[in-house]
Amino acid sequence: MISVKKVNNKPLNLLERIYLWEIARGLLVTTGHFFTNLFNPAGILTVPYPEKTIPLPGNAKFRTRHRLKLRSDGSPKCVACFLCQTACPAYCIHIEAAEYTENSVEKYPAVFDIDLSRCVVCGMCVEACPEDAIAMDTEELPGGALGRGELLLNKESLLRNLPGEPSLLGASNRLAGEYLKSRGER
Amino acid sequence: MMEFFEANKDILLFAGAAGAKLAVFLGAVMGFTALMTLAERKVSALMQDRIGPNRASVFGFAFNGLFQPVADAIKMILKEDFLPGRAEKLLFTLAPFFALVPVLALFALIPFGDYVMVYGYQVELQVADLPLGLFFVLALSGLAIYGVFLGGWASKNNFALLGALRGAAQMVSYEVVLGLTLVGLMMIYGSASLQDMVRAQGGLLFGFLPAWGVVYQPFAFILFLVASTAENKRTPFDLVEGESEIIGYFLEYSSMRFAAFMFAEFIEIVLISMLIATLFFGGWQVPYLYETGFLFPGGAELPLNHYLVSAMQVGSFAVKTIFFCWFSLVVRWTLPRFRFDQMMNLCWKALLPLALLNILATGAALLYLGKL
Repeated sequence: MISVKKVNNKPLNLLERIYLWEIARGLLVTTGHFFTNLFNPAGILTVPYPEKTIPLPGNAKFRTRHRLKLRSDGSPKCVACFLCQTACPAYCIHIEAAEYTENSVEKYPAVFDIDLSRCVVCGMCVEACPEDAIAMDTEELPGGALGRGELLLNKESLLRNLPGEPSLLGASNRLAGEYLKSRGER
Repeated sequence: MMEFFEANKDILLFAGAAGAKLAVFLGAVMGFTALMTLAERKVSALMQDRIGPNRASVFGFAFNGLFQPVADAIKMILKEDFLPGRAEKLLFTLAPFFALVPVLALFALIPFGDYVMVYGYQVELQVADLPLGLFFVLALSGLAIYGVFLGGWASKNNFALLGALRGAAQMVSYEVVLGLTLVGLMMIYGSASLQDMVRAQGGLLFGFLPAWGVVYQPFAFILFLVASTAENKRTPFDLVEGESEIIGYFLEYSSMRFAAFMFAEFIEIVLISMLIATLFFGGWQVPYLYETGFLFPGGAELPLNHYLVSAMQVGSFAVKTIFFCWFSLVVRWTLPRFRFDQMMNLCWKALLPLALLNILATGAALLYLGKL
């Protein structure tokens, strides 16, 4: 059954049908904005990004520039499992894996590149990561570059912890802990 | 050689003065039009609580976007000049000229000041004072239809043709209203020369009110304002362009050919603002300012130098023009577009009868006052 919604459009009265008065009222609104902004440009909300940035408004959790989390010993949490690279719909992640020489149990990323010019900021990599190693919570909005090179993130620029974060959580941390314990270094 | 100069002194002086006036006035107009393209974006930005273009810079100095027209021009020149394979090559090339030339020619008729004395010669501040100037204005602005129609038709593109058809219908319709609103003015001033009309607006009504056209013909002013906006093909009458639906008659144009159409539109804004100032707001007249200086209604006098008076008159004309250019931009960024049938109804069922009534009322009033 199709529901029909009756809209009660108020018929225009004479003053409104002449247009001119209503046009004048509309012009009053726009000229009001024009002169307010002309004499008080500081009141305009536009932020001249990227020269100036402001904290992101509200409590919304935006997906922002990626980062790779670190363990407390400074090594990347990432185990180079390629799940994020596989999940990425934009093919913007490039990983080359390598093995720890002293620890044959796990791998680490020798190269971890993210091409932000291709990234669609979908967050699939974060969801795919089994190690909780990649995150998009830096609150830096990607973009605003003068060349493509500036949008290419390598491992060094991705590896960072947020303040007070060094963490031992994660499966590989346990493995690493066991390994370190077996060597008597913990 | 000297004999030749002596024998043809008058005509040489006339040619020199006309050339100088043309260079100065047209240069000022073209420069101002270039700034209008920036002003349109800046004004719309400020109206919508934005900043507008402010990045184009020369050696790091942006001056809040002052170089944007230069950047636009360079970009337009460097774009590919595309010619559609099926287009009528000759007419397609000719159309931008038809759009640009009539509006440029019209500036010759606008009086931008009274006169200045240069080395004892009286130089009229108007390029060409035609006795039938107003008719010439209407005739040339009618020619502008060719630019629209040829551009749309020669493109061999359905949407461009649709835009051109709309444009031709719209411009022909509003041309009628535009002409009829001015009849009342011609009846009152008894002249069709623009300079004469401006001079006639120098007096006072009831001893204190400047005898501007808008005081005599407020109704015609509103009709003219509406009709000229429609003639200019700008929002709320931009069905010709209709950005969101058919893009318009210049759909197939690119590079400087497109820029010619766009520039013609902006020149037309300036031109229409000048015409409104000239016909309805006293042109270069400053209230209570006469050839010798200010003479206020209370009897107070303030004698002024001839050059100062001339400068104030030209300045007054510039201020009026700039105000109406700004007003045109504000209207363009405030109102939504009419539907085509609404626009035609407005023209033929509202504006045209009102314009005719205005002529009737003006005639009756003149007859009653015994001035006919």
